Amino acid sequence: MNQMTHPAPPALFSIRDLRLSFADRAHKPLFGPAPRVEVLKGLSLDIPEGRITGIVGESGSGKSTFGRILVRLLAPESGQVLFDGKDIGALDEAALRPLRRDLQMIFQDPMSSLNPRHRVWRIIAQPMKRYGRGGDRAAAITALEKVGLSGQFADRYPHELSGGQRQRVGIARAIALEPRFILADEIVSGLDVSSQAQVLSLLADLARDMGLTLAFISHDLSVIRHLCDTVVVLHHGEIVDQGPVEDVFEHPRSAITKSLLSAIPRPEMDESWWDDMSEPA
Amino acid sequence: MTMTTAHAHTLDIINLNIALPRGQRLLRNVSLQLEPGEVRALVGESGAGKSMIGKAVLGILPHRIKRTEGEILLEGAHLNVMTPATRRNTVAKMSALIPQDPLTALNPVRKIGPQITDPLTRIHGWSHQRALARARELLDRVHIRAPDRVMHSYPHELSGGMRQRILIAAAFAPSPRLIVADEPTTALDVTVQKQILRLIRELQRETGTAVLFVTHDMGVVAKISQKVTVLFAGRVIEDAATRTVFENPAHPYTQALIAATPTPNVSAEPFQPVPAALITELHRETLAADALYAQRGRR
Repeated sequence: MNQMTHPAPPALFSIRDLRLSFADRAHKPLFGPAPRVEVLKGLSLDIPEGRITGIVGESGSGKSTFGRILVRLLAPESGQVLFDGKDIGALDEAALRPLRRDLQMIFQDPMSSLNPRHRVWRIIAQPMKRYGRGGDRAAAITALEKVGLSGQFADRYPHELSGGQRQRVGIARAIALEPRFILADEIVSGLDVSSQAQVLSLLADLARDMGLTLAFISHDLSVIRHLCDTVVVLHHGEIVDQGPVEDVFEHPRSAITKSLLSAIPRPEMDESWWDDMSEPA
Repeated sequence: MTMTTAHAHTLDIINLNIALPRGQRLLRNVSLQLEPGEVRALVGESGAGKSMIGKAVLGILPHRIKRTEGEILLEGAHLNVMTPATRRNTVAKMSALIPQDPLTALNPVRKIGPQITDPLTRIHGWSHQRALARARELLDRVHIRAPDRVMHSYPHELSGGMRQRILIAAAFAPSPRLIVADEPTTALDVTVQKQILRLIRELQRETGTAVLFVTHDMGVVAKISQKVTVLFAGRVIEDAATRTVFENPAHPYTQALIAATPTPNVSAEPFQPVPAALITELHRETLAADALYAQRGRR
Protein backbone atom coordinates (compact mmCIF):
# COMPACT_ATOMS: atom_id res chain seq x y z
CA MET A 1 0.00 0.00 0.00
CA ASN A 2 1.31 3.48 0.75
CA GLN A 3 5.06 3.21 0.93
CA MET A 4 6.02 6.84 0.65
CA THR A 5 8.31 6.67 3.66
CA HIS A 6 10.85 4.82 1.52
CA PRO A 7 13.08 6.69 -0.92
CA ALA A 8 11.62 7.12 -4.40
CA PRO A 9 12.12 3.96 -6.47
CA PRO A 10 13.48 4.11 -10.03
CA ALA A 11 10.99 4.93 -12.75
CA LEU A 12 9.77 2.02 -14.90
CA PHE A 13 8.10 4.45 -17.29
CA SER A 14 9.43 7.90 -18.09
CA ILE A 15 6.99 9.88 -20.17
CA ARG A 16 7.90 13.23 -21.66
CA ASP A 17 5.65 15.61 -23.59
CA LEU A 18 3.31 12.84 -24.74
CA ARG A 19 0.81 14.03 -27.34
CA LEU A 20 -2.02 12.42 -29.22
CA SER A 21 -4.82 13.75 -31.39
CA PHE A 22 -7.61 12.13 -33.37
CA ALA A 23 -9.20 13.29 -36.60
CA ASP A 24 -12.67 14.65 -35.84
CA ARG A 25 -14.61 13.06 -38.71
CA ALA A 26 -17.91 14.55 -37.50
CA HIS A 27 -16.62 18.01 -38.40
CA LYS A 28 -14.75 17.13 -41.55
CA PRO A 29 -15.33 19.70 -44.29
CA LEU A 30 -16.39 18.43 -47.71
CA PHE A 31 -12.87 19.06 -49.05
CA GLY A 32 -9.67 18.99 -47.08
CA PRO A 33 -8.65 17.15 -43.92
CA ALA A 34 -10.80 16.71 -40.84
CA PRO A 35 -9.89 18.95 -37.89
CA ARG A 36 -7.82 17.34 -35.12
CA VAL A 37 -9.06 16.86 -31.55
CA GLU A 38 -6.22 16.89 -29.06
CA VAL A 39 -6.73 14.08 -26.58
CA LEU A 40 -3.39 14.21 -24.77
CA LYS A 41 -1.72 17.59 -24.60
CA GLY A 42 1.90 17.02 -23.61
CA LEU A 43 1.93 14.71 -20.57
CA SER A 44 5.16 14.32 -18.60
CA LEU A 45 5.40 11.94 -15.67
CA ASP A 46 7.29 8.98 -14.21
CA ILE A 47 5.71 5.70 -13.16
CA PRO A 48 7.81 4.29 -10.32
CA GLU A 49 8.73 0.61 -10.27
CA GLY A 50 7.04 -1.58 -7.68
CA ARG A 51 4.38 0.99 -6.83
CA ILE A 52 0.72 1.60 -7.69
CA THR A 53 0.11 4.75 -9.70
CA GLY A 54 -3.43 6.05 -9.80
CA ILE A 55 -4.68 7.78 -12.93
CA VAL A 56 -7.87 9.68 -12.22
CA GLY A 57 -10.11 12.02 -14.18
CA GLU A 58 -13.64 12.48 -15.48
CA SER A 59 -14.93 10.92 -18.67
CA GLY A 60 -13.18 12.53 -21.61
CA SER A 61 -10.10 13.41 -19.57
CA GLY A 62 -7.92 11.08 -21.67
CA LYS A 63 -7.10 8.64 -18.88
CA SER A 64 -7.97 5.47 -20.81
CA THR A 65 -6.24 6.73 -23.95
CA PHE A 66 -3.13 7.39 -21.88
CA GLY A 67 -3.33 3.90 -20.41
CA ARG A 68 -3.60 2.35 -23.83
CA ILE A 69 -0.39 4.09 -24.88
CA LEU A 70 1.42 2.66 -21.83
CA VAL A 71 0.60 -0.90 -22.94
CA ARG A 72 1.09 0.17 -26.57
CA LEU A 73 -2.39 -0.63 -27.80
CA LEU A 74 -2.14 2.90 -29.17
CA ALA A 75 0.94 4.71 -30.48
CA PRO A 76 1.69 8.26 -29.40
CA GLU A 77 1.82 11.02 -31.98
CA SER A 78 4.85 12.67 -30.45
CA GLY A 79 6.85 12.65 -27.25
CA GLN A 80 8.79 9.99 -25.39
CA VAL A 81 7.50 6.85 -23.73
CA LEU A 82 10.58 5.34 -22.08
CA PHE A 83 9.90 1.85 -20.71
CA ASP A 84 12.90 0.63 -18.76
CA GLY A 85 15.03 3.17 -20.66
CA LYS A 86 13.80 2.17 -24.10
CA ASP A 87 11.49 4.42 -26.13
CA ILE A 88 8.57 2.12 -26.97
CA GLY A 89 6.49 4.91 -28.47
CA ALA A 90 7.88 4.56 -31.97
CA LEU A 91 8.39 0.77 -32.11
CA ASP A 92 6.50 -1.20 -34.72
CA GLU A 93 4.53 -4.37 -33.95
CA ALA A 94 7.47 -6.70 -34.64
CA ALA A 95 9.78 -4.75 -32.35
CA LEU A 96 7.08 -4.66 -29.65
CA ARG A 97 6.53 -8.41 -29.68
CA PRO A 98 9.29 -9.28 -27.19
CA LEU A 99 7.86 -6.64 -24.83
CA ARG A 100 4.22 -7.71 -24.99
CA ARG A 101 4.43 -10.15 -22.11
CA ASP A 102 5.77 -7.39 -19.87
CA LEU A 103 2.89 -5.03 -20.62
CA GLN A 104 -0.33 -6.62 -19.39
CA MET A 105 -3.79 -5.26 -18.94
CA ILE A 106 -6.87 -5.99 -16.84
CA PHE A 107 -10.09 -4.79 -18.47
CA GLN A 108 -13.19 -3.04 -17.15
CA ASP A 109 -15.69 -5.55 -18.48
CA PRO A 110 -14.64 -9.16 -17.89
CA MET A 111 -17.60 -10.48 -19.89
CA SER A 112 -16.09 -9.04 -23.04
CA SER A 113 -12.44 -9.71 -22.18
CA LEU A 114 -12.72 -13.36 -21.08
CA ASN A 115 -13.50 -15.85 -23.83
CA PRO A 116 -17.01 -17.11 -23.02
CA ARG A 117 -16.36 -20.49 -24.67
CA HIS A 118 -13.23 -21.31 -22.74
CA ARG A 119 -12.99 -22.75 -19.27
CA VAL A 120 -11.28 -20.56 -16.68
CA TRP A 121 -8.06 -22.58 -16.60
CA ARG A 122 -7.67 -22.29 -20.36
CA ILE A 123 -8.26 -18.53 -20.27
CA ILE A 124 -5.30 -18.27 -17.90
CA ALA A 125 -3.09 -20.96 -19.48
CA GLN A 126 -3.38 -19.90 -23.11
CA PRO A 127 -1.33 -16.68 -22.88
CA MET A 128 1.23 -18.50 -20.69
CA LYS A 129 1.72 -21.05 -23.46
CA ARG A 130 1.82 -18.29 -26.05
CA TYR A 131 4.70 -16.59 -24.23
CA GLY A 132 6.51 -19.87 -23.49
CA ARG A 133 5.92 -19.85 -19.76
CA GLY A 134 4.44 -23.29 -19.27
CA GLY A 135 0.70 -23.06 -19.39
CA ASP A 136 -0.63 -26.36 -18.16
CA ARG A 137 -3.70 -26.79 -15.97
CA ALA A 138 -1.63 -26.96 -12.79
CA ALA A 139 0.05 -23.63 -13.51
CA ALA A 140 -3.36 -22.04 -14.14
CA ILE A 141 -4.64 -23.39 -10.84
CA THR A 142 -1.62 -21.94 -9.05
CA ALA A 143 -2.47 -18.53 -10.52
CA LEU A 144 -6.14 -18.95 -9.54
CA GLU A 145 -5.16 -19.73 -5.97
CA LYS A 146 -3.10 -16.54 -5.83
CA VAL A 147 -6.29 -14.55 -6.47
CA GLY A 148 -8.22 -16.46 -3.83
CA LEU A 149 -10.13 -18.82 -6.12
CA SER A 150 -9.78 -22.53 -5.37
CA GLY A 151 -9.01 -25.14 -8.00
CA GLN A 152 -12.72 -25.98 -8.36
CA PHE A 153 -13.11 -22.81 -10.43
CA ALA A 154 -10.68 -24.10 -13.08
CA ASP A 155 -13.36 -25.92 -15.06
CA ARG A 156 -16.04 -23.24 -14.93
CA TYR A 157 -17.01 -20.91 -17.74
CA PRO A 158 -17.00 -17.11 -17.27
CA HIS A 159 -20.82 -16.91 -17.22
CA GLU A 160 -20.86 -19.25 -14.22
CA LEU A 161 -18.90 -16.77 -12.13
CA SER A 162 -19.95 -13.65 -10.23
CA GLY A 163 -18.66 -10.25 -11.35
CA GLY A 164 -16.02 -10.19 -8.62
CA GLN A 165 -14.83 -13.73 -9.46
CA ARG A 166 -14.55 -12.84 -13.16
CA GLN A 167 -12.42 -9.83 -12.31
CA ARG A 168 -10.19 -12.13 -10.23
CA VAL A 169 -9.74 -14.37 -13.27
CA GLY A 170 -8.66 -11.28 -15.22
CA ILE A 171 -6.11 -10.50 -12.50
CA ALA A 172 -4.92 -14.14 -12.45
CA ARG A 173 -4.40 -14.11 -16.22
CA ALA A 174 -2.27 -10.97 -15.96
CA ILE A 175 -0.10 -11.97 -12.99
CA ALA A 176 0.45 -15.51 -14.31
CA LEU A 177 2.68 -14.00 -17.01
CA GLU A 178 4.83 -12.24 -14.38
CA PRO A 179 4.79 -9.01 -16.38
CA ARG A 180 6.82 -5.97 -15.40
CA PHE A 181 3.79 -3.71 -15.71
CA ILE A 182 0.03 -4.14 -15.36
CA LEU A 183 -2.59 -1.63 -16.44
CA ALA A 184 -5.94 -1.89 -14.64
CA ASP A 185 -8.61 0.20 -16.38
CA GLU A 186 -11.71 0.83 -14.20
CA ILE A 187 -11.63 -2.78 -13.06
CA VAL A 188 -14.01 -2.35 -10.11
CA SER A 189 -16.48 0.20 -11.46
CA GLY A 190 -18.99 -2.47 -12.50
CA LEU A 191 -18.97 -4.23 -9.13
CA ASP A 192 -21.06 -3.91 -5.98
CA VAL A 193 -19.29 -2.21 -3.08
CA SER A 194 -18.74 -5.50 -1.31
CA SER A 195 -17.08 -7.31 -4.24
CA GLN A 196 -15.28 -4.07 -5.01
CA ALA A 197 -13.73 -4.14 -1.53
CA GLN A 198 -12.70 -7.79 -2.01
CA VAL A 199 -11.05 -7.20 -5.38
CA LEU A 200 -9.24 -4.10 -4.15
CA SER A 201 -7.87 -5.69 -1.01
CA LEU A 202 -6.71 -8.65 -3.12
CA LEU A 203 -4.98 -6.29 -5.55
CA ALA A 204 -3.33 -4.38 -2.69
CA ASP A 205 -2.03 -7.66 -1.18
CA LEU A 206 -0.76 -9.00 -4.53
CA ALA A 207 0.97 -5.71 -5.34
CA ARG A 208 2.75 -5.73 -1.98
CA ASP A 209 3.70 -9.42 -2.04
CA MET A 210 4.78 -9.59 -5.69
CA GLY A 211 6.16 -6.05 -5.98
CA LEU A 212 3.89 -5.32 -8.93
CA THR A 213 4.14 -2.10 -10.91
CA LEU A 214 0.54 -1.12 -11.51
CA ALA A 215 -1.25 1.77 -13.16
CA PHE A 216 -4.78 1.94 -11.82
CA ILE A 217 -7.21 3.99 -13.89
CA SER A 218 -10.36 5.09 -12.10
CA HIS A 219 -12.88 7.90 -11.88
CA ASP A 220 -13.27 7.13 -8.18
CA LEU A 221 -10.95 9.13 -5.95
CA SER A 222 -11.94 7.17 -2.85
CA VAL A 223 -10.60 3.97 -4.38
CA ILE A 224 -7.40 5.67 -5.58
CA ARG A 225 -6.84 7.12 -2.10
CA HIS A 226 -6.67 3.73 -0.46
CA LEU A 227 -5.01 1.66 -3.16
CA CYS A 228 -2.38 3.87 -4.77
CA ASP A 229 0.99 5.27 -3.76
CA THR A 230 1.06 8.13 -6.24
CA VAL A 231 -1.68 9.75 -8.28
CA VAL A 232 -2.01 11.73 -11.51
CA VAL A 233 -5.14 13.83 -12.06
CA LEU A 234 -6.02 14.35 -15.73
CA HIS A 235 -8.41 16.95 -17.11
CA HIS A 236 -9.00 17.53 -20.82
CA GLY A 237 -5.76 15.74 -21.67
CA GLU A 238 -3.55 17.65 -19.25
CA ILE A 239 -2.06 16.79 -15.87
CA VAL A 240 -3.61 19.15 -13.33
CA ASP A 241 -2.24 17.50 -10.18
CA GLN A 242 0.29 14.80 -9.39
CA GLY A 243 2.28 13.43 -6.50
CA PRO A 244 2.07 11.06 -3.55
CA VAL A 245 -1.61 10.35 -2.74
CA GLU A 246 -1.37 11.93 0.73
CA ASP A 247 -0.08 15.20 -0.71
CA VAL A 248 -2.61 15.40 -3.53
CA PHE A 249 -5.57 14.50 -1.30
CA GLU A 250 -4.58 16.64 1.68
CA HIS A 251 -3.35 19.62 -0.34
CA PRO A 252 -4.89 19.52 -3.82
CA ARG A 253 -3.37 22.29 -5.92
CA SER A 254 -5.82 22.30 -8.79
CA ALA A 255 -9.46 23.44 -8.60
CA ILE A 256 -10.32 20.34 -10.61
CA THR A 257 -8.98 18.01 -7.91
CA LYS A 258 -10.74 20.03 -5.23
CA SER A 259 -14.11 19.84 -6.99
CA LEU A 260 -13.66 16.10 -7.66
CA LEU A 261 -12.97 15.55 -3.96
CA SER A 262 -15.79 17.73 -2.66
CA ALA A 263 -18.36 16.15 -5.01
CA ILE A 264 -17.92 12.68 -3.47
CA PRO A 265 -21.02 11.84 -1.44
CA ARG A 266 -19.72 10.30 1.77
CA PRO A 267 -21.90 7.80 3.62
CA GLU A 268 -22.56 10.13 6.56
CA MET A 269 -25.10 12.79 7.47
CA ASP A 270 -23.62 16.10 6.39
CA GLU A 271 -25.88 18.87 5.10
CA SER A 272 -22.87 21.09 4.38
CA TRP A 273 -22.08 18.86 1.37
CA TRP A 274 -24.81 20.75 -0.50
CA ASP A 275 -23.37 24.18 0.37
CA ASP A 276 -20.27 23.84 -1.76
CA MET A 277 -21.24 25.46 -5.04
CA SER A 278 -17.83 25.08 -6.69
CA GLU A 279 -19.16 22.87 -9.45
CA PRO A 280 -17.94 23.30 -12.97
CA ALA A 281 -20.82 24.19 -15.27
CA MET B 1 -62.15 0.40 -4.35
CA THR B 2 -60.30 3.00 -6.36
CA MET B 3 -61.59 5.89 -4.23
CA THR B 4 -58.95 8.23 -2.85
CA THR B 5 -59.00 8.63 0.91
CA ALA B 6 -58.15 11.90 2.63
CA HIS B 7 -54.99 10.78 4.40
CA ALA B 8 -53.59 8.44 1.78
CA HIS B 9 -49.89 7.77 1.45
CA THR B 10 -48.48 8.84 -1.89
CA LEU B 11 -47.33 5.26 -2.32
CA ASP B 12 -48.30 2.32 -0.17
CA ILE B 13 -46.83 -1.08 -0.93
CA ILE B 14 -48.28 -3.85 1.21
CA ASN B 15 -46.74 -7.31 1.42
CA LEU B 16 -45.67 -7.34 -2.23
CA ASN B 17 -44.41 -10.60 -3.74
CA ILE B 18 -43.06 -10.79 -7.27
CA ALA B 19 -42.04 -14.09 -8.83
CA LEU B 20 -40.74 -15.81 -11.94
CA PRO B 21 -43.12 -18.29 -13.67
CA ARG B 22 -41.61 -21.26 -11.79
CA GLY B 23 -42.41 -19.56 -8.50
CA GLN B 24 -38.90 -18.30 -7.68
CA ARG B 25 -39.58 -15.12 -5.68
CA LEU B 26 -37.76 -11.88 -6.57
CA LEU B 27 -39.53 -9.73 -3.96
CA ARG B 28 -40.43 -11.26 -0.62
CA ASN B 29 -43.20 -9.64 1.43
CA VAL B 30 -42.04 -6.10 0.72
CA SER B 31 -43.95 -3.30 2.44
CA LEU B 32 -43.09 0.39 2.34
CA GLN B 33 -44.77 3.78 2.38
CA LEU B 34 -43.92 7.08 0.79
CA GLU B 35 -45.41 10.34 2.09
CA PRO B 36 -46.00 13.44 -0.04
CA GLY B 37 -42.79 15.37 -0.66
CA GLU B 38 -40.59 12.63 0.78
CA VAL B 39 -37.51 11.02 -0.77
CA ARG B 40 -37.13 7.36 0.09
CA ALA B 41 -33.96 5.54 -0.97
CA LEU B 42 -34.14 1.89 -2.00
CA VAL B 43 -30.67 0.53 -1.48
CA GLY B 44 -29.05 -2.85 -1.92
CA GLU B 45 -26.52 -4.76 -3.99
CA SER B 46 -27.26 -6.03 -7.50
CA GLY B 47 -30.01 -8.63 -7.45
CA ALA B 48 -31.54 -7.24 -4.25
CA GLY B 49 -34.74 -6.36 -6.14
CA LYS B 50 -34.54 -2.59 -5.70
CA SER B 51 -35.29 -1.75 -9.35
CA MET B 52 -38.00 -4.43 -9.39
CA ILE B 53 -40.01 -2.47 -6.79
CA GLY B 54 -39.97 0.65 -8.98
CA LYS B 55 -40.96 -1.40 -12.02
CA ALA B 56 -43.80 -3.07 -10.15
CA VAL B 57 -45.17 0.34 -9.14
CA LEU B 58 -44.99 1.70 -12.68
CA GLY B 59 -46.40 -1.51 -14.14
CA ILE B 60 -43.37 -2.15 -16.32
CA LEU B 61 -42.22 -5.49 -14.92
CA PRO B 62 -40.32 -7.61 -17.46
CA HIS B 63 -42.31 -10.19 -19.39
CA ARG B 64 -43.09 -13.31 -17.35
CA ILE B 65 -42.30 -11.66 -14.01
CA LYS B 66 -45.59 -11.36 -12.16
CA ARG B 67 -47.02 -10.04 -8.91
CA THR B 68 -48.16 -13.10 -6.96
CA GLU B 69 -49.38 -11.38 -3.83
CA GLY B 70 -49.71 -7.97 -2.22
CA GLU B 71 -51.12 -4.54 -2.95
CA ILE B 72 -49.78 -1.36 -4.48
CA LEU B 73 -51.71 1.84 -3.72
CA LEU B 74 -50.95 5.09 -5.48
CA GLU B 75 -52.60 8.05 -3.70
CA GLY B 76 -54.89 5.56 -2.05
CA ALA B 77 -56.01 3.95 -5.30
CA HIS B 78 -55.57 0.18 -5.56
CA LEU B 79 -53.61 -0.36 -8.75
CA ASN B 80 -54.10 -4.13 -8.75
CA VAL B 81 -57.88 -4.10 -9.09
CA MET B 82 -57.87 -1.77 -12.11
CA THR B 83 -58.18 -2.86 -15.71
CA PRO B 84 -54.81 -2.63 -17.49
CA ALA B 85 -55.92 0.47 -19.40
CA THR B 86 -57.17 2.30 -16.29
CA ARG B 87 -54.04 1.33 -14.46
CA ARG B 88 -51.78 2.61 -17.23
CA ASN B 89 -53.67 5.86 -17.34
CA THR B 90 -53.62 6.33 -13.55
CA VAL B 91 -49.90 5.57 -13.30
CA ALA B 92 -49.07 7.83 -16.25
CA LYS B 93 -51.04 10.72 -14.74
CA MET B 94 -49.66 10.46 -11.25
CA SER B 95 -46.09 9.28 -11.69
CA ALA B 96 -42.97 9.51 -13.81
CA LEU B 97 -39.66 7.70 -14.21
CA ILE B 98 -36.12 9.05 -14.28
CA PRO B 99 -34.17 6.13 -15.78
CA GLN B 100 -30.53 5.17 -15.39
CA ASP B 101 -29.61 5.40 -19.04
CA PRO B 102 -30.99 8.54 -20.70
CA LEU B 103 -29.93 7.42 -24.17
CA THR B 104 -32.18 4.36 -24.24
CA ALA B 105 -35.03 6.29 -22.62
CA LEU B 106 -35.10 8.93 -25.34
CA ASN B 107 -36.32 8.14 -28.85
CA PRO B 108 -33.25 8.59 -31.07
CA VAL B 109 -35.20 9.67 -34.17
CA ARG B 110 -37.42 12.30 -32.52
CA LYS B 111 -36.50 15.81 -31.48
CA ILE B 112 -36.28 16.56 -27.76
CA GLY B 113 -39.16 19.07 -27.71
CA PRO B 114 -42.03 16.73 -28.61
CA GLN B 115 -40.58 14.05 -26.34
CA ILE B 116 -41.19 16.41 -23.40
CA THR B 117 -44.48 17.95 -24.56
CA ASP B 118 -46.25 14.83 -25.91
CA PRO B 119 -47.00 13.31 -22.49
CA LEU B 120 -48.25 16.71 -21.29
CA THR B 121 -50.74 17.08 -24.12
CA ARG B 122 -51.73 13.44 -24.52
CA ILE B 123 -51.86 12.21 -20.94
CA HIS B 124 -52.48 15.39 -19.02
CA GLY B 125 -54.65 17.03 -21.66
CA TRP B 126 -52.75 20.29 -21.74
CA SER B 127 -52.87 22.64 -24.73
CA HIS B 128 -49.82 22.62 -26.95
CA GLN B 129 -49.01 26.19 -25.91
CA ARG B 130 -49.14 25.37 -22.23
CA ALA B 131 -47.01 22.23 -22.70
CA LEU B 132 -44.43 24.15 -24.70
CA ALA B 133 -44.23 26.93 -22.10
CA ARG B 134 -43.83 24.37 -19.31
CA ALA B 135 -41.11 22.49 -21.25
CA ARG B 136 -39.21 25.77 -21.72
CA GLU B 137 -39.61 26.65 -18.06
CA LEU B 138 -38.33 23.27 -16.86
CA LEU B 139 -35.40 23.15 -19.30
CA ASP B 140 -34.38 26.56 -18.03
CA ARG B 141 -34.81 25.26 -14.49
CA VAL B 142 -32.34 22.39 -15.13
CA HIS B 143 -29.83 24.93 -16.51
CA ILE B 144 -30.21 24.16 -20.20
CA ARG B 145 -28.95 27.44 -21.67
CA ALA B 146 -30.81 27.56 -25.00
CA PRO B 147 -34.09 25.67 -24.42
CA ASP B 148 -35.46 26.34 -27.89
CA ARG B 149 -32.33 25.15 -29.63
CA VAL B 150 -32.19 22.02 -27.45
CA MET B 151 -35.85 21.23 -28.13
CA HIS B 152 -34.98 21.16 -31.81
CA SER B 153 -32.02 18.80 -31.24
CA TYR B 154 -31.87 15.03 -31.40
CA PRO B 155 -30.68 13.04 -28.35
CA HIS B 156 -27.33 12.07 -29.93
CA GLU B 157 -26.40 15.74 -30.33
CA LEU B 158 -26.33 16.26 -26.55
CA SER B 159 -23.94 15.15 -23.80
CA GLY B 160 -24.83 12.47 -21.24
CA GLY B 161 -25.25 14.97 -18.41
CA MET B 162 -27.48 17.14 -20.61
CA ARG B 163 -29.68 14.19 -21.60
CA GLN B 164 -30.11 13.25 -17.94
CA ARG B 165 -31.12 16.85 -17.13
CA ILE B 166 -33.68 16.76 -19.96
CA LEU B 167 -35.23 13.57 -18.56
CA ILE B 168 -35.42 15.21 -15.14
CA ALA B 169 -37.18 18.20 -16.70
CA ALA B 170 -39.59 15.87 -18.53
CA ALA B 171 -40.33 13.88 -15.37
CA PHE B 172 -41.07 16.95 -13.24
CA ALA B 173 -42.94 18.90 -15.95
CA PRO B 174 -46.46 17.66 -15.01
CA SER B 175 -45.63 17.97 -11.24
CA PRO B 176 -46.41 14.29 -10.64
CA ARG B 177 -47.22 12.92 -7.18
CA LEU B 178 -44.50 10.28 -7.46
CA ILE B 179 -41.23 9.95 -9.32
CA VAL B 180 -39.29 6.69 -9.51
CA ALA B 181 -35.61 7.55 -10.00
CA ASP B 182 -33.84 4.32 -11.00
CA GLU B 183 -30.08 4.79 -10.42
CA PRO B 184 -30.21 8.15 -12.24
CA THR B 185 -26.58 9.08 -11.52
CA THR B 186 -24.81 5.73 -11.68
CA ALA B 187 -23.25 6.29 -15.11
CA LEU B 188 -22.13 9.84 -14.36
CA ASP B 189 -18.92 11.45 -13.07
CA VAL B 190 -19.03 12.65 -9.45
CA THR B 191 -19.22 16.34 -10.30
CA VAL B 192 -22.08 15.78 -12.78
CA GLN B 193 -23.72 13.43 -10.27
CA LYS B 194 -23.76 16.22 -7.71
CA GLN B 195 -25.42 18.62 -10.18
CA ILE B 196 -28.09 16.04 -11.01
CA LEU B 197 -28.76 15.23 -7.35
CA ARG B 198 -29.06 18.95 -6.62
CA LEU B 199 -31.60 19.39 -9.44
CA ILE B 200 -33.70 16.44 -8.28
CA ARG B 201 -33.65 17.78 -4.72
CA GLU B 202 -34.60 21.33 -5.70
CA LEU B 203 -37.40 20.34 -8.09
CA GLN B 204 -38.74 17.73 -5.68
CA ARG B 205 -38.97 20.38 -2.95
CA GLU B 206 -40.64 22.90 -5.26
CA THR B 207 -43.25 20.51 -6.67
CA GLY B 208 -43.82 18.49 -3.48
CA THR B 209 -43.27 15.30 -5.50
CA ALA B 210 -42.41 12.15 -3.57
CA VAL B 211 -39.37 10.30 -4.93
CA LEU B 212 -38.54 6.62 -4.78
CA PHE B 213 -34.78 6.80 -5.31
CA VAL B 214 -33.17 3.50 -6.33
CA THR B 215 -29.40 3.39 -5.75
CA HIS B 216 -26.58 1.10 -4.69
CA ASP B 217 -24.50 3.96 -3.26
CA MET B 218 -24.81 4.58 0.48
CA GLY B 219 -23.12 7.97 -0.05
CA VAL B 220 -25.94 9.07 -2.36
CA VAL B 221 -28.51 7.69 0.12
CA ALA B 222 -27.06 9.88 2.89
CA LYS B 223 -27.34 13.03 0.77
CA ILE B 224 -30.64 12.70 -1.07
CA SER B 225 -33.10 10.79 1.14
CA GLN B 226 -35.07 11.21 4.35
CA LYS B 227 -36.07 7.55 4.60
CA VAL B 228 -34.24 4.35 3.60
CA THR B 229 -35.32 0.82 2.73
CA VAL B 230 -32.37 -1.59 2.73
CA LEU B 231 -32.94 -4.70 0.63
CA PHE B 232 -31.23 -8.07 0.41
CA ALA B 233 -32.43 -10.85 -1.89
CA GLY B 234 -35.82 -9.18 -2.30
CA ARG B 235 -36.37 -8.82 1.44
CA VAL B 236 -36.60 -5.60 3.46
CA ILE B 237 -33.67 -5.78 5.89
CA GLU B 238 -34.11 -2.37 7.45
CA ASP B 239 -36.60 0.48 7.04
CA ALA B 240 -35.80 3.67 8.92
CA ALA B 241 -35.14 7.40 8.79
CA THR B 242 -31.90 8.13 6.92
CA ARG B 243 -30.39 9.82 9.96
CA THR B 244 -31.07 6.74 12.08
CA VAL B 245 -29.58 4.45 9.44
CA PHE B 246 -26.30 6.35 9.37
CA GLU B 247 -25.99 7.28 13.02
CA ASN B 248 -27.41 4.13 14.54
CA PRO B 249 -27.96 1.36 11.96
CA ALA B 250 -30.00 -1.47 13.46
CA HIS B 251 -29.08 -4.34 11.13
CA PRO B 252 -25.52 -5.66 10.74
CA TYR B 253 -26.02 -5.80 6.95
CA THR B 254 -26.78 -2.07 6.86
CA GLN B 255 -23.67 -1.45 8.94
CA ALA B 256 -21.63 -3.61 6.55
CA LEU B 257 -22.94 -1.78 3.47
CA ILE B 258 -21.95 1.57 5.00
CA ALA B 259 -18.51 0.22 5.97
CA ALA B 260 -17.93 -1.17 2.46
CA THR B 261 -18.58 2.21 0.80
CA PRO B 262 -15.21 3.72 -0.08
CA THR B 263 -14.50 7.27 1.07
CA PRO B 264 -11.48 9.51 0.49
CA ASN B 265 -10.96 9.64 4.28
CA VAL B 266 -7.87 7.99 5.72
CA SER B 267 -8.84 4.87 7.62
CA ALA B 268 -7.07 1.91 9.12
CA GLU B 269 -9.16 -0.70 7.29
CA PRO B 270 -9.95 0.70 3.84
CA PHE B 271 -11.54 -2.25 2.02
CA GLN B 272 -14.22 -3.93 4.09
CA PRO B 273 -16.36 -6.39 2.17
CA VAL B 274 -19.64 -7.55 3.71
CA PRO B 275 -18.53 -10.48 5.95
CA ALA B 276 -19.14 -13.87 4.28
CA ALA B 277 -20.71 -15.23 7.48
CA LEU B 278 -23.31 -12.46 7.41
CA ILE B 279 -24.17 -13.20 3.76
CA THR B 280 -24.53 -16.90 4.58
CA GLU B 281 -26.83 -16.07 7.49
CA LEU B 282 -28.96 -13.77 5.30
CA HIS B 283 -29.28 -16.46 2.61
CA ARG B 284 -30.24 -18.99 5.28
CA GLU B 285 -32.99 -16.63 6.49
CA THR B 286 -34.18 -16.17 2.91
CA LEU B 287 -34.43 -19.93 2.36
CA ALA B 288 -36.32 -20.35 5.63
CA ALA B 289 -38.74 -17.59 4.63
CA ASP B 290 -39.27 -19.22 1.22
CA ALA B 291 -39.93 -22.63 2.80
CA LEU B 292 -42.52 -21.07 5.10
CA TYR B 293 -44.11 -19.20 2.20
CA ALA B 294 -44.35 -22.37 0.09
CA GLN B 295 -45.87 -24.29 3.01
CA ARG B 296 -48.49 -21.60 3.55
CA GLY B 297 -49.29 -21.62 -0.16
CA ARG B 298 -49.98 -25.37 -0.13
CA ARG B 299 -52.41 -25.12 2.75
